[in-house]
Amino acid sequence: MKQQLQKWLAIALLALSMTDCGYNDFQAKDEQTKAAWSEVVNQYQRRSDLIPNLVNTVKGYAAHEKETLEAVIRARSAATSFQITPEVLSNPDAFKKFQEVQGHLSSALSRLMAVSERYPNLKADMIFRDLQSQLEGTENRITVARQRYIVAVQEYNVLARSFPTNLTAKIFNYEVKPSFTVENEKAISTAPTVNFGK
Amino acid sequence: MLAFLLASANAQELAAIPPLTSHVMDSIGMLNQNQRDALDTVLKDYETRTGSQIAVLLVRSTAPEGIEQYSIRVADTWKLGRKGIDDGVILVVARDNPKALRRLRIEAGRGVQGTLTDAQSKRILQDVIAPHFRQNDFYGGLVAGVSAIASLLDQEKLPKRHDQPASSESLSTDSLLPFILSAFFIAIAFSRMRRSRSAFGHSGWGKTGGIVLGSGVGRGRNSGGRFSGGGGGFDGGGASGDW
Repeated sequence: MKQQLQKWLAIALLALSMTDCGYNDFQAKDEQTKAAWSEVVNQYQRRSDLIPNLVNTVKGYAAHEKETLEAVIRARSAATSFQITPEVLSNPDAFKKFQEVQGHLSSALSRLMAVSERYPNLKADMIFRDLQSQLEGTENRITVARQRYIVAVQEYNVLARSFPTNLTAKIFNYEVKPSFTVENEKAISTAPTVNFGK
Repeated sequence: MLAFLLASANAQELAAIPPLTSHVMDSIGMLNQNQRDALDTVLKDYETRTGSQIAVLLVRSTAPEGIEQYSIRVADTWKLGRKGIDDGVILVVARDNPKALRRLRIEAGRGVQGTLTDAQSKRILQDVIAPHFRQNDFYGGLVAGVSAIASLLDQEKLPKRHDQPASSESLSTDSLLPFILSAFFIAIAFSRMRRSRSAFGHSGWGKTGGIVLGSGVGRGRNSGGRFSGGGGGFDGGGASGDW
């Protein structure tokens, strides 16, 4: 008798937890990660849009820094030619590739900014100074957008991995999403912190 | 992995974010009482006039974070600026920060970056505030900086105070329209009722009308005297500098 009561209690508990299957949570968190991701993409795009002007301005004062300038241009075209489809979000390899191309661009840019320190006339140029501020601001926006994406994915992945919502995830095909890795986060966030002087 | 451990260890000793109580948050006594009050009045008046929220935060240090990381955490906590318009600005000074972490920052809300661009923010820090600060004239620098920020915000075509985008929960013509219409029909019903009392009688029309109208009026804003952020969003835009 007592055993049966326990059995019913267990079933009732299970049924209760099933109503909390988290389907709606998945909807919300999935949208959140997508929104956070599009912000990341936007900010990378914003950086990419700054580069042609920046390269041209530097060229005006430091034309013989050809190698550094070309490295930036090459890295930029590699970054822009890597198409960012929504599939990138659920494909760890493509995600890694995306990080890589943007990371290359980050380091090429920071080399360019380091080189530009050697040209006082360039540093005094108002257009260059404004571009520098914009680049610095955009690098910070990228850091913020990436941070927010990491948090959004974390919340989503906790849901996708923990019981019982992981069952819902299986049924409705909500896969665990890749995020920016810590080493990468470090490498990328430190690379462009060239102190732009005052 | 080690980096991760270090990061989480650091996370526990991040500089605290003071709760927002005034437009000028000075816990380290960089300004005297009169200066604080004067600057606060200026910023309060500016908010009353335009709806945009500008705040000044003076702290000792943001270590171990850079001023940018600290400042975006403050922005996300305070949520200055109107919701959906995102017209908040924070001017942060970290007086004793080491050079690498920077000592000045303007954190610009999403909605003001059309005129308060990164480049303009940088110029304000460098050309307006820093010269005063270099002579230890903190008050003069802050006043000049704040008025430079305000004059740029004035150029931005922001919605006037009290009209907010349709997405927010305040009264606008759009959200009022159904109530005006229903009030109109109720009025017609009443006038007919008066004419042919026998047809409708006292059929609860008046009561319904009262409820419908009441729910419409009840959706107004709560305009208390306390200062708090309006729910504005930030994306890390702005500039950092030094003096």
